[in-house]
Amino acid sequence: MKKRFFIALGLTAFSLLILVGCGNDDGIPSSSVKESVIIAMDVESEPAAGFDPILGWAAGEHTHDPLFQSTLLTTENDLIIGYDLATDYDISDDGLTWTFKIRSDVKFTDGAPLTAKDVAFTYNNAMKQATETDLSMLNSVEAVDDTTAVFHLQTPYSSFAYIAAVVGIVPEHAYESAAYGQKPIGSGRYILKQWDKGEQVIMEANPDYYGEEANIKKVTVVFMSEEASYAAAKSGQVDVAYTDPDYTVRPITGYDILSFNSVDVRGINLPCIPAGNKTAPDAAGATLPAGNDVTANRAIRQAIACAIDREALVRDVLYGYGSVAYSESIGEPWESQTMKVEYDPLRARAILEADGWTLDANGIYEKNGLKAEFDLLYIASNSARTGIAMAVTEMLKEVGIKVNPTGSSWDQIAGLYYKTPHVFGAGMHSPAGLISHYYSGKNGASYSNPVVDDYIRQALAAPSVEASYEYWMKAQWDGNTGVTPAADSPWVWLVEIKHVYFARENLNVIDEKIHPHGYGWTITNNVDQWYWD
Amino acid sequence: MDDTLVTSPLQISKRKRLNQRSKTIIYLVLGLTFLLLIAVAGTLLSHAAITTNFMQKNLLPSLQYPFGTDWLGRDMLARTLRGLSISIVIGLFASFISAMIAAILGTAAATLGKTVDEVITWLVDLVMGIPHLLLLILISFALGKGTFGVIVAVAISHWPALTRVIRAEILQLKETNYVKIAGKMGRGKLEIAVKHMVPHVFPQFLVGLILLFPHAILHEAALTFLGFGLPPEQPGIGIILSESMRYLSLGMWWLAVFPGLALLITVLLFDLAGGSLRKLIDPYSAQD
Repeated sequence: MKKRFFIALGLTAFSLLILVGCGNDDGIPSSSVKESVIIAMDVESEPAAGFDPILGWAAGEHTHDPLFQSTLLTTENDLIIGYDLATDYDISDDGLTWTFKIRSDVKFTDGAPLTAKDVAFTYNNAMKQATETDLSMLNSVEAVDDTTAVFHLQTPYSSFAYIAAVVGIVPEHAYESAAYGQKPIGSGRYILKQWDKGEQVIMEANPDYYGEEANIKKVTVVFMSEEASYAAAKSGQVDVAYTDPDYTVRPITGYDILSFNSVDVRGINLPCIPAGNKTAPDAAGATLPAGNDVTANRAIRQAIACAIDREALVRDVLYGYGSVAYSESIGEPWESQTMKVEYDPLRARAILEADGWTLDANGIYEKNGLKAEFDLLYIASNSARTGIAMAVTEMLKEVGIKVNPTGSSWDQIAGLYYKTPHVFGAGMHSPAGLISHYYSGKNGASYSNPVVDDYIRQALAAPSVEASYEYWMKAQWDGNTGVTPAADSPWVWLVEIKHVYFARENLNVIDEKIHPHGYGWTITNNVDQWYWD
Repeated sequence: MDDTLVTSPLQISKRKRLNQRSKTIIYLVLGLTFLLLIAVAGTLLSHAAITTNFMQKNLLPSLQYPFGTDWLGRDMLARTLRGLSISIVIGLFASFISAMIAAILGTAAATLGKTVDEVITWLVDLVMGIPHLLLLILISFALGKGTFGVIVAVAISHWPALTRVIRAEILQLKETNYVKIAGKMGRGKLEIAVKHMVPHVFPQFLVGLILLFPHAILHEAALTFLGFGLPPEQPGIGIILSESMRYLSLGMWWLAVFPGLALLITVLLFDLAGGSLRKLIDPYSAQD
């Protein structure tokens, strides 16, 4: 007995030795400067228009902290609104006037003080630009005095607080549209030192920052593909490397795998109108073909919602780095629990049969000569979306719905998704996502319900952003009607994707805020608070 | 003991070795059979090639899955065979169209007078002058990619070399007596070309056609690999290879090695078949 124990001990020690030996082979340089960090980010994260908030830097779907500039408000870790430049804000009773009081002790990095004039300048210019920041509700902004900015809105818009949390303030005296994005001057935590386009961004802590002093004095962001990011971490060239769940099957010695919660959800739009329709014309008057005969059937949409085993998607496609999602607002204050739906393939079949669908010889449902069959678009270069499309295809086949997965690029899909369901990515740090998915007009499902529209309008007209949460939830389900899987089900939400990174073992990455859709700069939201052991 | 004494070395070689011609025929038949098998197997496996099974993902090659499985649990053997069969079908189509274009243009250039000849020769130089892959990408992209785009792109970019061969052959034939006599007897240019000259260049045409296959297949794979060819949900070899790239750094070598080798072997088989056929037809080597 004793002998066997010693043999076991010896073997364990031997295998440990081998493991340690392997670890040394990777050759991680032992001396890192303790106040700097190198982050590998995806290539798409490099902003084409530069770091200019007026041209959309930090805003839009992939919201993050602008780093070089300050914002009026900010979102806390649980996405409740907090304060940055603003010390207080007030909304008039009609919701049309927002008054911000701002700090008087803030200076731009060129030494000039930041005043309400700069705030007014930033917003008045940003609203003229067509960027991802939707400022169409704004009429004008005026600076009453150095510390008071008054925003005049065209319509009440309680979610404006979430916009004020991402638009960085630029200096009026040092702003020139063509050059600012390349060499931004701001009042944020970091200063842009160097930008080698297509390669890297180097930034240094702002010594005059009004907030807490940064632990990390120098941040280098390198832009690279997923494979290169993995290889860079493997050869010890970067401290934090973005990655995909696929890569976690081969961990890297000396690096931890970090996964961050996100509202980065994947879901499928199910066009609610019959084929042959067109979308509402855009600003240029162009329309796109819209509508799908199969998904226009409510029973089909409801059946799809309960025929998909979301747990299996998380386990099989995402390697466990995700969670089931029933709405695009997972973990946000306006998330509605009524969106939840049980995985029940038998119920899916029952729903279809109750609606008059019958099985054909191939085991596919049909009704009045219409087969329960549709194409499903997905972005082929994205492995998670490909996996989801393939898995959904198999799952829907089980309930007699035939799906033809069709891989493409986003450029192509952008013109097709109003008539063909697509594996979408969504999730914003703002309830505005609900508008883009469910409000009448141009939405991916061509969905229109006056009751839902009414709640959305009420939510926007709410006296404060906190008071609006209730209406956002009612827009999803008010007890009678809504967009839940048991009701109109225009979108089927599937999974939340955790954002996965390789990070050096001795680096403490602090990043508590739920990530929005899209990797990228979100990881740097709290980079100033990171520290090395 | 006695037997070996009386058998001359020449007799041994006759008994044990096949002559060159039989060997060539065997190569040709084997090659073509193999290709036919791949094409048929791929067609039969079209469903298995896209069936995902997440319980069986990222598996190393084994007896059950000789080529392993990919990150969606798809059987790589089925995918490879399906991919090859798609490639072969596209190759057949594209090279047939290409060879037809070559035959028509080659004949026209040689028989329809100086102006036509100059125009066609200029066209040949033009198409040959543009970098091949670039031309393929341009055409395929303009036609909306997909199977149609690939076939047309490969078909209308591969004819120039064969056109030159056929043109030269027919120019030679023009100088032969029987063609001259046919002309003297009042036959039309077109009639002479179709009746008396085309049958003569048929062997060259056939060999050229078969030797176009490997080009067509490789270019289809290259085009698809670069994202300008087959749609990504189709298990084309180019798709399989480009998908495998991101998994190579994870050590999943089997995703690229087996499909790549299979493509190489297929191309070599076509080359072998074409080469053998030329040997059989070409009077200089036919009697070897």
